[in-house]
Amino acid sequence: MTAGEQNTAAKHSSKYRSQFRIYVDIMRVIQRESNQAKPTRILYGANLSHDRLVKYLEELKTLGVIEASGTDDRVYSLTQKGIEFLNNFRKVEAFAGAFGFRI
Amino acid sequence: MEFIAFAIAISVAYQALKGFRLSKERTLLFLNLSFSLLGAGLLIDSFSNAVVLLARFHRGVIFLSALGYTINFIVQVFAYGILVFAYLQQARGVTVGTVVAALPIAFFEHNAITELILIFLLVYISAQTAINHSISKTTNSLLVFGAFTSLVVSHVFFLLFTLAPIFFPFAHVAQLFGFLLLLGMLLRVNQSR
Repeated sequence: MTAGEQNTAAKHSSKYRSQFRIYVDIMRVIQRESNQAKPTRILYGANLSHDRLVKYLEELKTLGVIEASGTDDRVYSLTQKGIEFLNNFRKVEAFAGAFGFRI
Repeated sequence: MEFIAFAIAISVAYQALKGFRLSKERTLLFLNLSFSLLGAGLLIDSFSNAVVLLARFHRGVIFLSALGYTINFIVQVFAYGILVFAYLQQARGVTVGTVVAALPIAFFEHNAITELILIFLLVYISAQTAINHSISKTTNSLLVFGAFTSLVVSHVFFLLFTLAPIFFPFAHVAQLFGFLLLLGMLLRVNQSR
């Protein structure tokens, strides 16, 4: 994570995060972990409780942006759709950020 | 020149709409609405001016120029007003009702007052983009700050145009330069991986 991303994450962690923002944070943690992240890493990286993490991981799997693999499906990775989503989100974030809007 | 500015404004609006579809973030919808209105105003103004030029300033169509400017002015007030609202809402959670109540209720034809209103709105937006750039220090935020500053300069020239016609081309060049900076930002955003 770059210094800029850490600042952004810190800003967002200080106030209410939308469901969309939590999805993005989870997906970014997975991407940061070389696209092979265990729940504990995601839990700490995205700053979530265990119950909420399980809920959001299921939702992201249903959306088809992440997939579970490994023993007992305990390793999460981004699907191609998820990678494309994050790339598009990065562009939207840069666009909005250029005007000074946080998303 | 205004046709180019129109195309760039619509491109920015489209990018904002794409962002809104992805994130459902309301500020992006405001940005979309604002630049759609700006684009529409520029198109109407340039179209009406083109008709007047093609008709070689015939008396029957000369009113179209004033009509086009008036529509463009009203549209710009709303477009920049929406942007101001978006910044205010982000900073202090202002409601739509507050801003609608604050909008000017009387509109004017081409004169110094209309330009002063637009300059006032644009100076506020430029200040916001300057603050954003001082915090984020990215090239994209610098381009947006430069764009709105150019738009302020263009409207200062439009204001001076009411005193001396020589400022008219400068105003259009400054306006085009502002939109070209926005185009630069758009290209950078879409090239980033």
